Amino acid sequence: MKKLYMIPAAVFCLLALTASAQEVVELKQPSSNKVVVKLMFRNGSISDPAGKEGLTDITTSMIADGGTTKMTKSQIDDALYPWSASIGAGVDKEVSIFTFQCPSAYMSQFYPIMMDVMTSPAFSQDDFARIKSNQQNYVDEVIRSSSDEEYSKKALEDYLFRGTNYQHMVQGTSMAVKSITLDDVKAHFKNYFSVKNVMIGVAGNYPADFISKLKGDLAKLGSAPAAIAQPVKPKMPVGLQVEIVQKDNALGSAICMGFPIDITRSDDDFAALMVANSWLGEHRKSYSHLYKKIREERSMNYGDYTYIEWYDNGGQNMLPPPGVPRHSNYFSIWIRPVQTATGLKKQYQELSSISVGHAHYAMRMALKEMQTVIDKGMSKEDFEATRTFLKSYMKLYIQSTERQLGYLMDSRFYGRKDYITEMNALLSSLKLDDVNAAMKKYWQTQNFYVTIVTDKSEAEPLKKSIEANLPSPMSYSNVLKGSLSEEILNEDKSVEGYSLNVKNVAIINSEDTFKQPEHRHNPEQVTPEIKSGK
Amino acid sequence: MKRLIPVLILICAVSISGTPDQAKKILPYPILQKKMDNGLNVVTVPYPSPGLAAFYIVVRAGSRDEIEAGHTGFAHFFEHMMFRGTDKYPNEKYSEVLKSTGASANANTSLDRTLYHMTGSADKLELMFELEADRFQNLNYSVDGFKTEAGAVKGEYTKNSASPYVQLNEKIQETAFKNHTYGHTTMGYFKDIVDMPNQFDYSREFFNRFYRPEYSTIIVVGDVTQDKVNALAQKYFGNWKPGSYVSKVAAEEPQNEARYVHIKKAGFPPYMDINYKGPAFSDERMDMPALDVMCSILFSEKSDLYKKLVLQEQKCRFINGGAQDSRDPYLISIGASVVKAEDMQYVKDEIVKALENAKTTPFDAKIISETKMHLKNRFAMGIDNPTSIAESLSAYTWLTGDPESINRTYANYEKVTAEDMMSAAKKYFTPSTLTIGTISPEETASVK
Repeated sequence: MKKLYMIPAAVFCLLALTASAQEVVELKQPSSNKVVVKLMFRNGSISDPAGKEGLTDITTSMIADGGTTKMTKSQIDDALYPWSASIGAGVDKEVSIFTFQCPSAYMSQFYPIMMDVMTSPAFSQDDFARIKSNQQNYVDEVIRSSSDEEYSKKALEDYLFRGTNYQHMVQGTSMAVKSITLDDVKAHFKNYFSVKNVMIGVAGNYPADFISKLKGDLAKLGSAPAAIAQPVKPKMPVGLQVEIVQKDNALGSAICMGFPIDITRSDDDFAALMVANSWLGEHRKSYSHLYKKIREERSMNYGDYTYIEWYDNGGQNMLPPPGVPRHSNYFSIWIRPVQTATGLKKQYQELSSISVGHAHYAMRMALKEMQTVIDKGMSKEDFEATRTFLKSYMKLYIQSTERQLGYLMDSRFYGRKDYITEMNALLSSLKLDDVNAAMKKYWQTQNFYVTIVTDKSEAEPLKKSIEANLPSPMSYSNVLKGSLSEEILNEDKSVEGYSLNVKNVAIINSEDTFKQPEHRHNPEQVTPEIKSGK
Repeated sequence: MKRLIPVLILICAVSISGTPDQAKKILPYPILQKKMDNGLNVVTVPYPSPGLAAFYIVVRAGSRDEIEAGHTGFAHFFEHMMFRGTDKYPNEKYSEVLKSTGASANANTSLDRTLYHMTGSADKLELMFELEADRFQNLNYSVDGFKTEAGAVKGEYTKNSASPYVQLNEKIQETAFKNHTYGHTTMGYFKDIVDMPNQFDYSREFFNRFYRPEYSTIIVVGDVTQDKVNALAQKYFGNWKPGSYVSKVAAEEPQNEARYVHIKKAGFPPYMDINYKGPAFSDERMDMPALDVMCSILFSEKSDLYKKLVLQEQKCRFINGGAQDSRDPYLISIGASVVKAEDMQYVKDEIVKALENAKTTPFDAKIISETKMHLKNRFAMGIDNPTSIAESLSAYTWLTGDPESINRTYANYEKVTAEDMMSAAKKYFTPSTLTIGTISPEETASVK
């Protein structure tokens, strides 16, 4: 299948056609005790107008977490409480998804509330003040001060997609959120949450006429033409473009590295790349290669993983959640926090003279191992074991009713009917050569965007070390060094001087992240076709 | 709201199937148990998940059992070591075979237990049994492997500590508990984690104490039969030797005055964590069910406090509250993210006012019945896959040793009265047992 964003005009037609026909995904489960309804709107944060970044997210929160013209937020809470029914919303770059869940026995009472929430939001000033304040707080404080890992991932997206509509966080930027008004929200709802761009998903135990009623009632949504923003293609970096985000009192260095790739779940090649990626860095799995090299053999951190698409909230999720489908993909390496020089010096007297922690070494190790597998390919045994693993493991993505429905709807986004089933078939027919060819086609290690969130004391020495490609010998404590094999210590020598194609290293103050895109420097970039070798 | 009343009767139909006895229970599937001769309890719950099964092992040892000084965080560290291999399946081989199961497999540790879990193809059940039985009986990691794994735990502390909430929790636990091992977190103190590579001998001792059949329960949920599960348990765990160690955890001394801890942190939403000493979990006494129902009434989105502090006055971004289920008395925690640090005292006073009111004014029958419905429906909607059922059963197994506790606990919710809640409020919301933790840009806490 062709990548959708390579042919934007065709995409527009396809989406408009399916949207006007109100695409419906059904998953009837007569033995279920509940009903799950999902409404996927084809507008995510890329629909945010310039200067109003965060508007789609505020709008969805106003719908899911605000009152309606008939009931206040408080009255809705009161009604839902005994049923334990729920109304949730999630926004990603290209979609906004509302999820409604209720026991089947109360669905007839929940339904009118659900419809009012979706079609007649009150957009009250009180709700707006509360929701906007929380969102402002998130972009101003929470993202920078709660999890350095999550911070480094969002900072990487800001860097990798700089200058495109994918750049800003879903929650927006500090200055943009400040500027959003209630009128902006009302207009955004009218223009973008239209009957023309919604996909309906229903799962569980619901009456026979439920779908037709739901479709009819959703006609109350606006009928503005589905103004679907097109994802802009990110550009390849020239060499390694590194941003070090420095903050006070960071105990470790959290690292994320990535570059754009022209492949999504729409492509049959995705199965091949999935096998390669699973072998190199399956999310939170002890048998993936980088995990073994960095965590298990060298004790450097909690885990090291790779991705060929966005994996939402990876610090919390063991299995990939649905609801974040994207046309603009990138490959990424997530190296969980490694020790800083300041930390190591405090912990071990014998390391009192070091000036840089483990980040530079970890980057080198990850890129060296990746280049090795690109060059040499996977072994037949690794290929078979990884393929077998994935064929079983993917079935676990869809254990619950809600996840099953979510994955089916994501499948439609990618032009597939049932991604899990289709990928299983593609994996079955896959050959080792396909995987090795896919790695050569889509992967490389010369050009990466890199973000490192670290302590202020680490930033400048780390910058110098990376910038000048200085040797980065591993600084083990005596107690650990004595337990490592000669093989590992020898391998370290080949890693510590491994040359990286570094072109630029900048230090950014934490306070300056996620303010306004134009205030940041732009990395040197070229178009992906040239650098990816396609 | 009138229409809700007849609905209360209907709820029974939502989550019920199976035999008439089963119909009275919150879990609509029978919990089939067999205690093996060596003391290992084997629990099977057949569940219609074609081709899929969840395989869990609960070890009733957690950071609560780290009684020797200098070994905080050891239960969790040991959980890591359980992935480091045996003679039959050395480290590398273990990873290979684990991968071949195609399962989602991992482990985690908390105050009272360590939990090992795999969910995967039901036709791999025997391999899962074999792998788990081998490491639970024959774990044999090297000294070198032991020293190396300690760095991963340090990495875990490093990533967790970026959160001020995690930092505050460490301080709250050590402030609230002076004798009991709940005084340290499951992650442990950083200095003990840095010293872990030197504790190889203690790790073997830890294994010998707790990785025994009498501390463990196997739970299998999904496309399985009890006969098959029991046969596999006998085949692979039948020769597991029981131990003799009994964990002697010091009781906590009575607390006679409020305690305070504070983290100065600019650029982070001001936060207040109000903690009262609570009861140990019990499926016999009514104090914990009464607290659960009461905390839902007091702190959920239905509550008056939420409506006032979050929706109307908008002085808080969120509030939450509840008693943590634990084997020994732990904490009833009430958290509030406060918009402006200067409002912390006001927010605390409002919360305390609600708690004081709960001591003297009975909650009305309608909110009590709605809350019981809420708890029941929430559970019923959540159990649509083998993993979530196994998770729920595990929780009650580590608390009481008996997974049937889940049914008894939800039956107890049905019995909770307004008087039960008043009595629990009087007993537990006492100012002298308070530990209040705060995060704000100020040098010291402004809350009294």
